Amino acid sequence: MPRYLPNLHLQLNPEQPQILHIDLNSCFATVEQQARPLLRDRPLGVTNRLTKNACVVAASYEAKALGVKVGMTFSQAKLVAPDLIMIETDPPKYHYVYKKLIGIMKSYSPNIGMKSIDEGVIDFHGTRLNINNRPLTVIGQEIKQRLRDEVGPWMKCNIGIAPNRFLAKTAASLHKPNGLDVITHKNLRRTLSTMELTDLTGIAERNQARLNAAGIYTPLQFLDAPPELLVRQVFKSICGEDWYKRLRGWETDDVEHDVKTVGRQFVLDEWQPTEESLRARLSYLCETTALKLRYKNRAAYGVQVYVRYASGDYWHERKMFKTPVFSGADVFRRATLLFNRRPHYDYEREMGISCYGLISSNQNQVSLLEDVNREVWLSEAMDTINAQYGEFTISYASSLASKGLIKQKIPFGSTRYFELLCNRA
Amino acid sequence: MDQAVQINKDVEIVAYYFKNQARRLRCFPKRMEYDGKRVVFTETGLVHPTKQGQRTIHVFDMTDGAADYRLEFDAQELTWKLIAITDMNYAPISTQFAPAA
Repeated sequence: MPRYLPNLHLQLNPEQPQILHIDLNSCFATVEQQARPLLRDRPLGVTNRLTKNACVVAASYEAKALGVKVGMTFSQAKLVAPDLIMIETDPPKYHYVYKKLIGIMKSYSPNIGMKSIDEGVIDFHGTRLNINNRPLTVIGQEIKQRLRDEVGPWMKCNIGIAPNRFLAKTAASLHKPNGLDVITHKNLRRTLSTMELTDLTGIAERNQARLNAAGIYTPLQFLDAPPELLVRQVFKSICGEDWYKRLRGWETDDVEHDVKTVGRQFVLDEWQPTEESLRARLSYLCETTALKLRYKNRAAYGVQVYVRYASGDYWHERKMFKTPVFSGADVFRRATLLFNRRPHYDYEREMGISCYGLISSNQNQVSLLEDVNREVWLSEAMDTINAQYGEFTISYASSLASKGLIKQKIPFGSTRYFELLCNRA
Repeated sequence: MDQAVQINKDVEIVAYYFKNQARRLRCFPKRMEYDGKRVVFTETGLVHPTKQGQRTIHVFDMTDGAADYRLEFDAQELTWKLIAITDMNYAPISTQFAPAA
């Protein structure tokens, strides 16, 4: 039982909506249809790898109308839509649209945030008096038009306007595609009455079961639930209080989360991988992980390695070391130490590495130990050459066999390494 | 399945240049000579820049109404390269990916 006892009884937030949420509709599929006019009005799926078990990461509205859902494998999607066209992702295109979207958003307010590669939030607080004194619905329509003018006529986006980020996102999902909706304290109950619990962002199967167990079956019942019930019985944490505020239009999601781990994983390209090829893949993963660490100006004390086997079994091992790492060779050395301890009872299907225990990198500080300085200088020299001539122009010989095989794919959720990824694409 | 045919060859392009509302020069590749054929483009899909090291490459996705073309313009060497052609007549999925009957 949490010791935290809320004494909260808030009304609906009566503030005029100041948060505008932009959501690009079926982003990758729409961008591909914009780029290739002959794909327009056709069922289109975008995948990370053109194999039958790769899943659809984005489907066009024409494909969705035929029953194709994001997450389906290629084979399943072809069953429901035999005319489906599948193409591979092209990150530089999405990066271009992402940058255009940021440019448009920044022209309205300095306080913007990208929730993911295709979603952004503009906070209009403090800009309404002199700069954006038009109604937000007019600004929303203008943003839609600017997206069409600056990227292309096929681009569509959903816009939601509300007093907080959660309700703005909810508003943006009400009328797809190309909708524009406003949620205020006046229409909040009416809007929630048309929705299911799982339509709310953050409420999936497990949270729904938690709510159902407490007798909450609809969003309206969720809204009317007392904070004590949400904190003590449903969520059993401060999350209950956050939900209580969030549903009433008070802001709880205006937080930036720090980087805690940095890593890479890879589903192996061979059914029966040899020890040699496994080590080449591991080396490559370590090199790219170290690259991400340096990009974020971090070093890591901890290294974790995991392997998933063909049988479905999972093995992982982690260790905190006495000194931090930032170079590819060091990460590989430590990961190999852990990797050698793995059991050999089946073929490996997937492997990954992550670094944790992050600190700010002290690469700029010259060490008393010559070996450490050499490592720093070598990493700096490699990064400089790769920045000039393209990533992996120069790399460790141990990862050479994996170059070109392990491709960087589009990031979901966080876009923290998007610049790095697009430099390499 | 995507039916793009990779070409990756230098081509001759006749391009028009316009100033848009922001007074920036915009390029529209109008005509391409490739393999003894003349292709007249009718529409630009998307133009986006990519980086190869410090070199900027502008990627043009064009169509002539019958096929999609992917062109790359090297801003340093001022050369055009035809990367891929995708025919309008997308072939059905190959049998290896077809679901089991």
